[in-house]
Amino acid sequence: MSSTMISSHIPDLDLITVYAQRQETYFSRVSPWTMFAGLILVILLITLTRNLLVCSALYLLILGIYAAAGLPVKKLFQWYTIPVIFVLSLVGIMAWSEPGTPLFSVNLGLFTLTLTDNGLILVVTLLLKALISVTYSLFFLMTIRYQYFSAMIYRIFPEPLDQIFLMAYRFLFLTLSMTGSILKAVRSRGGGIIHSIRVQGRIFAEVFALVFIRSFDHAERVHQAMIARGYNGRYEAGTEIPRPGFSGYCIIGAFAGAIATIVLLVPDTGVLL
Amino acid sequence: MTLVYRDPHAMHCPPVDKERELIHVDCASHTYPDGSVGIHDMCFYVLKNEIVTLCGPNGSGKSTLLEHLNGLLTPSLGDVWVNGRSITHGERVDLWKDVGIVFQRSDDQLFAPTVLDDVMFGPLNLGMSRADAEVAAMSALEGVGAADLVNKLPNYLSGGQKRLVSIAGVLAMKPKIMVLDEPTSDLDPLHSERVEALILRFKQDYGISIVIATHDLDLAARIADRVCLVKNGSVFAEGTSEEVFYNPSLIKEAGLTLPHTVRIYLDYCKARGIAATQRPIQRDELISALQGLQSPPQ
Repeated sequence: MSSTMISSHIPDLDLITVYAQRQETYFSRVSPWTMFAGLILVILLITLTRNLLVCSALYLLILGIYAAAGLPVKKLFQWYTIPVIFVLSLVGIMAWSEPGTPLFSVNLGLFTLTLTDNGLILVVTLLLKALISVTYSLFFLMTIRYQYFSAMIYRIFPEPLDQIFLMAYRFLFLTLSMTGSILKAVRSRGGGIIHSIRVQGRIFAEVFALVFIRSFDHAERVHQAMIARGYNGRYEAGTEIPRPGFSGYCIIGAFAGAIATIVLLVPDTGVLL
Repeated sequence: MTLVYRDPHAMHCPPVDKERELIHVDCASHTYPDGSVGIHDMCFYVLKNEIVTLCGPNGSGKSTLLEHLNGLLTPSLGDVWVNGRSITHGERVDLWKDVGIVFQRSDDQLFAPTVLDDVMFGPLNLGMSRADAEVAAMSALEGVGAADLVNKLPNYLSGGQKRLVSIAGVLAMKPKIMVLDEPTSDLDPLHSERVEALILRFKQDYGISIVIATHDLDLAARIADRVCLVKNGSVFAEGTSEEVFYNPSLIKEAGLTLPHTVRIYLDYCKARGIAATQRPIQRDELISALQGLQSPPQ
């Protein structure tokens, strides 16, 4: 368990960065811009298609790439918890009202809920879309050195978003590390043992309050240190990002062509091609 | 130099050496918004190419004074002159160009996503082009022996590495004066020695004047040209390491303890029942002084 890890179901920023800096596989040598173009194309494809088969194939493809990049698959499935809960909490309600062949019904007295085949397909498709975007995003974050990622944010995002991001990232690490230390201190004196939900809730509220106060204090000190080096409201990321090579352009072109073909030739909805 | 006792009620501190003075703190006081007094009638100066240590217990006002030297704080009363400019009269805007400050906690200073970005931050603020800033950053990292860390993220550096990068971040701006707040606190012995060697090299090779706030009296004894004892927000005595540290009552008054070298020598003399006639400060001085005491009388 890394120092910044709070739960195994929440993506561990520390672990993500460790993988990103490790740079051992082919994917680490691909230009960050190529990977970013891939992200845009993946999002474009899952926005344009509602075909279950296309979504399934794309999910398996990205999962395969993720595994081939030597990234932790078991962790990925643990990290799916939050997006799955998020999607199911939204789509779980919509699925019952979809027209189609009824699969089963639940009689609630005043009204009857019927789940149709289209409702089920909708749930699975949207779930797959969420998992595709999560998997590719994690793959993207875990194969690009952080300095390139931050430099991309600096070049892409307008002010002050880029500034907020550039400064928030390191601050987030420190805050998570601080939270981890406080939680350790709480646990070391028996605070982790569940006496009651009320007691546990109070402890965590206190931890949260302490983290908030310390973060505020820390932010002030960081700001002072920045002013001491001439900070004038603008911070520039200095790293140059490697441009895509010929193979990078080929990959982007091929992927874009595949998407165009799928969007034009494959039916928008349905299970089969 | 002779030991100087400061008058805590002085209204004005005249310059000691106008030609060589880079910093002159003239009876400055600072009161924080909560009413606590940071410094009180503080008289202090730094000469060109000098290492000055501010020694005092926690809460004595060392860090408050350091923040005045960079213009982060302005005095409520009195005046602070840096390189001929008064920070009290609105001339503190670009003081950071002359005075670089290395903070006690490196995590407060390293805010950028990468080491290179962080070290380039100061040079870019000085108006350097990106290429020049990178050259300055690399040169500073090489200067502190941390060039291999250039592509690392601050999150994955050890405490000692973070301190070196913090120092490089200030060195890259080529300051005339470098101010270090507890530079060796929380460091392992090897990194402490490395930081100490760097401080001496900055003075010798780059001609940078150094101000160090510390309660590590061993460090102060080894490297200071002048030691200032701080208590209740003001410097109450100053002198060379020998003058200050061979005055146990003064050290006790400052709420500090003697450096190891001094303590060993004085305890040895006391145990042998002989007068402490020498004032060894450095380790080799102590060794030869003890050897001299052990050798049979001629």
